[in-house]
Amino acid sequence: MIIDALQRLATAGFPIFDYQYTGFGAIYFVDFIMLHKLLGMNRLLSLEQDKSLENRVSFNKPFSCVDIKMVPASSEIPSLSRDIRHIVWLDYDGVLRKDFLSDIQSAITVLPAGSILLVTVDVEPPEDYDYKQVDPDFDSSKNVLGPKQWKRYFEHHASGYLGLGLSEGDFGKSELLQRSIEVLKGAFTRSIVARPELEFLPMFHFDYRDSHRMLTMGGMIAGPTERRLLRASTIDAAIYYRGDFGTQPFEINVPRLTRKERVYLDREMPCPDGWSPKEFDLDPDKARQYREIYRFLPAFAEILL
Amino acid sequence: MRYASAEVRKQFFIDMFTRDISLEDCVLDLIGNSLDSYLLKHAISVSELIFGPDATNGARKPGRIDVTCTENQIKVVDTCGGISRERAMKDVFCFGHDEDDPVGKLGAYGVGMKRALFKIGNKFDIVSRTATEGFEVSLNLQEWAEKKEWKIPITFVEGADSEAKAGTSITITELHEEVALRIREGGVPRNILNDAATTYPYFLDRCVKLRIDGNDVPPRPIPFGESDGVIRAAREKFEQSNVKVTLAASVAPGQRMAEQAGWYILCNGRVVVDANKDDLTGWASDLASFQPKYRSFVGLASFESDDPLRLPWTTTKRDINRESGVFIRARSLMATMSKPILTFLNSQYPSDPNAEVGDIRDAVEGVQPVSFRDIASRSPSGFLYTPPKKKAKTNDWVRFQASITSLDKVRHHVRRPSLSASDVGKLAFDHYVKTECADD
Repeated sequence: MIIDALQRLATAGFPIFDYQYTGFGAIYFVDFIMLHKLLGMNRLLSLEQDKSLENRVSFNKPFSCVDIKMVPASSEIPSLSRDIRHIVWLDYDGVLRKDFLSDIQSAITVLPAGSILLVTVDVEPPEDYDYKQVDPDFDSSKNVLGPKQWKRYFEHHASGYLGLGLSEGDFGKSELLQRSIEVLKGAFTRSIVARPELEFLPMFHFDYRDSHRMLTMGGMIAGPTERRLLRASTIDAAIYYRGDFGTQPFEINVPRLTRKERVYLDREMPCPDGWSPKEFDLDPDKARQYREIYRFLPAFAEILL
Repeated sequence: MRYASAEVRKQFFIDMFTRDISLEDCVLDLIGNSLDSYLLKHAISVSELIFGPDATNGARKPGRIDVTCTENQIKVVDTCGGISRERAMKDVFCFGHDEDDPVGKLGAYGVGMKRALFKIGNKFDIVSRTATEGFEVSLNLQEWAEKKEWKIPITFVEGADSEAKAGTSITITELHEEVALRIREGGVPRNILNDAATTYPYFLDRCVKLRIDGNDVPPRPIPFGESDGVIRAAREKFEQSNVKVTLAASVAPGQRMAEQAGWYILCNGRVVVDANKDDLTGWASDLASFQPKYRSFVGLASFESDDPLRLPWTTTKRDINRESGVFIRARSLMATMSKPILTFLNSQYPSDPNAEVGDIRDAVEGVQPVSFRDIASRSPSGFLYTPPKKKAKTNDWVRFQASITSLDKVRHHVRRPSLSASDVGKLAFDHYVKTECADD
C-alpha cells in the first residue's frame, strides 16, 4: 500500500525516485527491495543499531545502492541531507518508548518539506520489560501485569502526550491501540509546531496483526506547494488513505486462503458488495476484506526441490 | 461612562521592578549600554563580531569601560561615543522605546539603565559627551518620586572635542542599604568581573577594554572542539521573524568540569544563558538528564536581529522567553543536534565490560579547539563521529574461572606460592602453547 501511495504521489509530481529512503532493513531488506525495483529509488539507507548483526546485515545487502550504517536512528537522523527529500520509516518492533518519540521529533524537525515519515509500533502490552522502572512496588513473583502497570509504562515514556484524566481502565489491553494513536499523533503535532511555515499532513494509519498487533501512522511534512500537489493527487481515492488521524485506522485483515482459492477470487475482483464465491464457503465479509487488500498482497510460494 | 484610574506610579518602578534583577546584572546592563554606544557609533554588526574574521579592530580604536564599585558609590565610565542630546531628551530616560527611537543591539526594552539606577542608589549623576555636544543629569530619586510629573531636569554641556574622549559617565551614590550591605559583604566586584567575562566574550577585547576596579576583564569564550576526520560538530541555521539563528554543538576540548557543560544561548552576542543543563534546552525531557559523563558536551545557540525585541530574551536578559516562536523552533533543533553527541559520550561507558572503548576515549581526548565562527560557516549537518579503521586484532582477552585447589597446585608445582591467579593462567597458557602447539 505504501508503494501504491508513492506511485500516486509520483504521478502527481513528487519526484519519488529521487527521494532517499531510510529504514530498518534488518537482514531481510524487504522494503528496500520493493522501493528499488518498483519505484526505481537508488538512495537507500538501512540503519541497524545491533552491532552484533553487522556481518549478517552486510552479507544480505540486496543491491549496491543500499548503504548500511550500524547506528541508532537518533544518531543518523540529524545528519540526513537537507538538500533532498526523504522517506523515513521508523519501523520499531516494540511498544512505544521515549526514544521512539525522540526520533519522531528529530525527523520532523530536520526533514525538508515534501519528506514522508512513517512510524510503526507494537500496540500489545509491553513484554520483557522491567516494570520496577515504572512501578517500584511491582513484584513479578506476586503481581500480575495489568492496566495499572501499563498506565505507569505509558506515563513514564509518553506522559507529555497523554490526555488528562485517564484512568487505569483507559490502559486495558484493548485500549492500548487508542493510547498509542494519541501519543503518536501528539508527537507529530508537537514536533511540527516548531516549524510554523509547515504542517504534517496525515496519510497513513494502519492497524494490522501478524504475530503482534501493530500500528503504523505517517504523513508528509508539507508546505503550501506540497499540500497542493498532495490534494491534486489521487491518493485520497485510495481505500487505505487517511487524511485525518481522528478517523478509524485502515484495518488490514488478510483472510486465510489457499493459493487455489486466491486464484479463484482474483478472477472476480473487484467484486460487488455482498458477493461470496459459489465454489467454496467464504463469508461475504471475508470476501470484502479480500477485495480491499488483494492488489497489495504478495504471492508466496513453497517449492519442494 | 465612569473610568477607573490606570495611573502609572513612580513607586512601582523604584521599588518593585527592581526586585527581579540582581545587583551584578544591573551593572552588566550598564556595561551593555556602553557596548551598545560603541556598536552604534562604529556601525558594527553583531554578526561581524561573532562570525567575522579574528583580525584586530584595524583602524578602529577600542572603547574603554571602567567600573568601580565601593559601598559608597558605583561608577561606570566609558569612551564609547556618548549619547546625543536628542536621544537624551526624547528616549534615554523614558521607560520603553517609541517606534521611531533608534534601537541598539543590546538594549531592547528601554528599562536597563533606569532599573539599574533605581536598584542601586538614591542619587545619580550622568554626564555624557559626544564629540560635539553633551548633557548632564543629576537626580535625587526620592525627591523625584514625590513629584507627579514624569520629567527629569537636564543641563546641556559642551562636547568632548574628540571622538576618542566621547563617552558617558554614570555615578550612583547614596547606595540603598541592601546594596551597600552586599558590597560590604564582599565578592560583588569579583562577581561582576566573572559575569562580564562570560556574558560579553564576543565584545571584550574585540571592541572594548573593560576593567572592574582597575582589573582587566579578559573574555571567556565558549570552547568548541573537533578532531580532524574523526569528530565533526553539528550545526544548523535558519531565519524566522527577522531573527537569524545559528546553532552549533560538539565536544569541547580539554578536561572539563560539569559546570561548564551544556547549552549557551546568545542574543545579539550577549550570553543570556550559560551552561544550561535543564529543561530550558531540552535536558530531562527531550534529552536524557544531564550526568557528569556528558561534561564534554557544549552547544551554542546564537539569536541575532536588528530588532532586539524579536529576540527571545527576558527583560533581565538572563533567561529566555519560552513562548517565543523562534526559540521553540531552535529548541527543537537543539535537542535533535544533541542526541548523537550524548550517544557518543555514553559509549565511553558501555554496559558490556568487554566492549572496546579505547577508540572513543582517544577521540574525546584528541579533540582540538575550533571556533564557533568556523563551525557556523559550513552548511547544516549533524554531529559525526568516524571511528578509525580497525587494525587487525593481534591480541585478545582470555578470562575464565579456575578452582582455587587447581591454582594452588600450579603454585606449588612452580614453587611460587604468591603467584596471582592471572599469572597462573598465563603460565599455564604459555606452557601449553610451547609444548603442544607446533611452531608456525
